[in-house]
Amino acid sequence: MPATITASAVRTCFGDGPATWAALLRGDCGVAPLERATAEQVGVGSGYPIADGGPFRPSRWLADCVREALAAAGVDPRRQRVVSLVGTGLRESAEVERAALAGVVDFPAERLHFGGAVAAAAPGVERVVTLANACSAGGHALALAQDLVETGDADAVLVGGTDGSTASMLAMIGRVASRPTERVRPFDADRAGVLLGDGAAVLVVERERGDGGLARLLATGLSCDAGHETAPDPEGILRAVRDAHERAGRRPDQIDLVLAHGTGTALNDATEAHVLAEVFAGCAPGPLVTAVKGAVGHTSGGSALLSVAVAVEALRTGQVPPIAGLARPAPEAAGLRLVRGEAVRADPRVAQVDAFGFGGLNAVTLLEAVR
Amino acid sequence: MTTLRHVATPHPAATAGLGPRAAAGEPVAAVLAAALHLPGVDALPADLPGARAATVEEPACPPERAADLLGRKGLLAKEPATRLALCAVHRALGLPAKAPRRTGPADPRTAVVVSSNLGNVATVGDIARRLRDGGPREVGPLEAPNASSNVIAGAVAIWFRFGGPNLTVCSGATAGLDAIWLAGLLLRTGRADRVVVVGTEPDDAQARALHAARRGRADGRPLRAGAACLLLGPVDGPGEPLGLLGPVRAVGADGASPAAPGSIDASPGPVDGAVPGSVDGVPPAAPRLVDDAVLPGDHYGAAGVVHTAVALRLLAGASAVRVRCGDPADGFRELTVTGAGR
Repeated sequence: MPATITASAVRTCFGDGPATWAALLRGDCGVAPLERATAEQVGVGSGYPIADGGPFRPSRWLADCVREALAAAGVDPRRQRVVSLVGTGLRESAEVERAALAGVVDFPAERLHFGGAVAAAAPGVERVVTLANACSAGGHALALAQDLVETGDADAVLVGGTDGSTASMLAMIGRVASRPTERVRPFDADRAGVLLGDGAAVLVVERERGDGGLARLLATGLSCDAGHETAPDPEGILRAVRDAHERAGRRPDQIDLVLAHGTGTALNDATEAHVLAEVFAGCAPGPLVTAVKGAVGHTSGGSALLSVAVAVEALRTGQVPPIAGLARPAPEAAGLRLVRGEAVRADPRVAQVDAFGFGGLNAVTLLEAVR
Repeated sequence: MTTLRHVATPHPAATAGLGPRAAAGEPVAAVLAAALHLPGVDALPADLPGARAATVEEPACPPERAADLLGRKGLLAKEPATRLALCAVHRALGLPAKAPRRTGPADPRTAVVVSSNLGNVATVGDIARRLRDGGPREVGPLEAPNASSNVIAGAVAIWFRFGGPNLTVCSGATAGLDAIWLAGLLLRTGRADRVVVVGTEPDDAQARALHAARRGRADGRPLRAGAACLLLGPVDGPGEPLGLLGPVRAVGADGASPAAPGSIDASPGPVDGAVPGSVDGVPPAAPRLVDDAVLPGDHYGAAGVVHTAVALRLLAGASAVRVRCGDPADGFRELTVTGAGR
């Protein structure tokens, strides 16, 4: 019996879930100057920030999402067996940087992970496990969440993803960009690289119940390239795609929509376009392809679940948002049905969500409409 | 002879109904091999009754001499926690020193689950200081993997060509047994045929400062560098395992009542139907407990894996050994290791 997603909560540069969905449908771009770092300091001056201050921001966004999602799902961890898996790329590493510069640790180091933040927002939760799985962390957490629900180990899983930018990671993306990046332009011929976005997302995963929930969680396939630490490998990605399709019992021609990883880097977008072309070869007309990072930036550990939350809305409403920042498709993506300019009504029934990360970590999720 | 062997758990994708739920106390994974890599610990404490003779073994090389075991190629940019992890896996696989590295396609059926909280904090802090002092030209793109908290698991996968699911658990003091919990799940749901579980922590100045700033710290137990590796397979797999691992339970500090993470004064709640230390509801004759007291210092995120590897060595003199890790802030986890008996 498949699992179902019964609630979702989101925080991005645009605000909460409804604000984010509305901005995506309009094709808005949330790029802005970074407030916490400058180009002189870290080599990157722009991003997709959430305009709030103070320390431990990823924990705060996550806790807000946990409270909202629990209330929406009507799940009470004091009465049900609820566990939480939180995916993150960087944890609260921004606080490690702050401590290193100050020469003193002025916070309890348990707060580097999210156990305390989730437990405070979800009293009674049985255990909280933080997974540092780079930019596909949320997808990995979602795979395990479905497993826990399907094996009966948990009644419900709060699956989260959260990340804020760190100076060290900003410096890295600055060093690998071909030229200064003004905005993220997934699959565009003139894309210059990725920028980081602040964000968090929480989904509630339960066994399928009477009201059907928001969307059916068919399966998530996982793989590791085991080849290169930062460069994506089409063979590794293909293994995750095929694992997802096999577990879900769906063929490529049954998939109507792809939420691409689409980071706007030369390497990711070329590799992903190549893999999508191979997977959907022979499918006419093939799935629509969209991506959210042009609008909200790369939210790292939050990005997979953010894409899943957007896919859920597309399955629920029938509308598919365009790829913000895409003007002229790159030649290698020319064969894909990229959604450009404005949102389209397509009434998709099955959606695929791609998430790839450092270390060659791949998570590919399949969802189905319940309408 | 009592056998703990039980029926195979079907792949959930191949079943219409619910997948297998781990019954209280029933084993969830078999240990195919285990290795400790604890620099400065040449033998387990002599007061461990029943410890196998094999506790005296080749001394564990410190991270700066990892090339003695692993060979030099590819080690240059690796952090100490990554080097210790690679050494522990190398030893668990039974490879000779400087054995040639595996080539060819990645093995898609072997997963990697790493537990570590502080593996890359020195690099993150160091990059932040260099950025402040010299700007972005002071850092290079080759440092990018180390800025991401999953660097160890990625490095283990690449080094040994493990292409299955790859997880890094950093849930604080419970991370080691949380990693074993998730490894068992990967096996039960058919996501992997074999899981390489590695716990590892460094003991650099940045790591020590963070470790000492925990609410759950224990005075007199400073952070200690070290790693351990368990190769896990399904309970009903082929071969003669070293031991079987029971389900990982969330428990309170007294081993009885559960405690929610982040709350030292958490009130008790349900704990997966299991009575800690019991098998099928029958209280056993108090198996020996392996916890922080067994070794000097604190292996923190690695502790659950280190303690399990120690427990496996005590099995010769006992039918079951309890393993615990955790602290009052993060909560506690326990599992029971039993002999394979087959």
